[in-house]
Amino acid sequence: MKVIIDDKEFEAEYGEYILDVARRNGIHIPTLCHSDTVPGQGSCRLCIVEVYERGKNKVVVSCLYPITGEIKVYTNSEKIHRMRRNIIRLLAARAPGSEYIKKLKEEYGIPEETRFIVDEKEKCVLCGLCVKACEKLGSMAISTVNRGATKKVAPPFEEPPVDCIGCASCAHVCPTGAIEVRECKGKRVIWNRTFELLKCTSCGRYFITREQYEYMKNRLGIDMKELLCDRCRQKSTAEKLVSLYKKLLV
Amino acid sequence: MREKPEEGILKVKSILEKYPKERRFLLAILQDIQKTYNYLPREALNEVRDYLGIPLSSLYSMATFYKALSLKPKGRYVIKVCDGTACHIRGSLDIVEEIKKQLSISPGEVTKDGKFSLETVNCLGSCALAPVMVINDKYYGNLKPAMVKDILESTGD
Repeated sequence: MKVIIDDKEFEAEYGEYILDVARRNGIHIPTLCHSDTVPGQGSCRLCIVEVYERGKNKVVVSCLYPITGEIKVYTNSEKIHRMRRNIIRLLAARAPGSEYIKKLKEEYGIPEETRFIVDEKEKCVLCGLCVKACEKLGSMAISTVNRGATKKVAPPFEEPPVDCIGCASCAHVCPTGAIEVRECKGKRVIWNRTFELLKCTSCGRYFITREQYEYMKNRLGIDMKELLCDRCRQKSTAEKLVSLYKKLLV
Repeated sequence: MREKPEEGILKVKSILEKYPKERRFLLAILQDIQKTYNYLPREALNEVRDYLGIPLSSLYSMATFYKALSLKPKGRYVIKVCDGTACHIRGSLDIVEEIKKQLSISPGEVTKDGKFSLETVNCLGSCALAPVMVINDKYYGNLKPAMVKDILESTGD
């Protein structure tokens, strides 16, 4: 299926999202709440593009707009640029503490906010990616609480969450670095709860919390005889393959 | 009537028994608990979590989202003073001030004896009666600060 993005022609699968096609072909569309691991948020609105389809044009979020016919897409038309500026301005008013948003502000030449009284340290844009990541993982320790102006992401009763396994997926997926994780001396602190870290049996690096290990063992039925970090596991798998091939070749 | 949660945990069980173990009944269950205790006791939320198999975070999310649900005990009589546009310009804040003076509580608080709690709401849909307040299910319209004392005194158990 043919699709024209910024006057250039590209191939796309039926139902593929505009953002994916654009990224594959090196066209930059700014995003905040998009993550390949937990897709389908569409809450930050940063990735808006202009679509011309069957003689009509409309503004859509490219991360959630499936290509189902021949369309023309403009990722940075004057209209989009203007609208995106407003979105960035609002995001910057909400989360002035975020480095990424500061960069966007500079890039789009947005003046310092004077009208809204804001918390200078706030980094969260309430995109909900962390909640989705926690849900996907299955521990569902955090959620959005309250609503309207007081809405935020927090664990139940805003206490250290009992269901949390300390995997830090929420912090990892957060586009603005709003979730604080601290690690030192074999301990990880996240959501005000302290977790004990376990060492990789091969390289001796701390890499997993005890709760995370137990979770993998009990609920996913993965029994790890040796506790290997990602790097060491890759290495060990590669070595196993090498020895297997050697045997086959002999 | 409000009860201590320890005494009332059986009541939670009887509420839960009325509903199938499906997530879609969550709001209805929470509403019933709210009605029984005037708030959502933590023990009750734990019971709901175990019954429906829903994580506590989802329960907390819902409990904080709806204004009809509350995690702190409310009074037996909930005073809702309308502060919508019509009521606001017709002096709803004076009404709130008068109630504050009479009961010495601010919006969001409960009197020491647990009888009254005070809230402001954005619109009760009775703008013709502005300024208006509602105590439990009874509406009081065309209010003047001088009327507040009598209304509060005539509201009894």
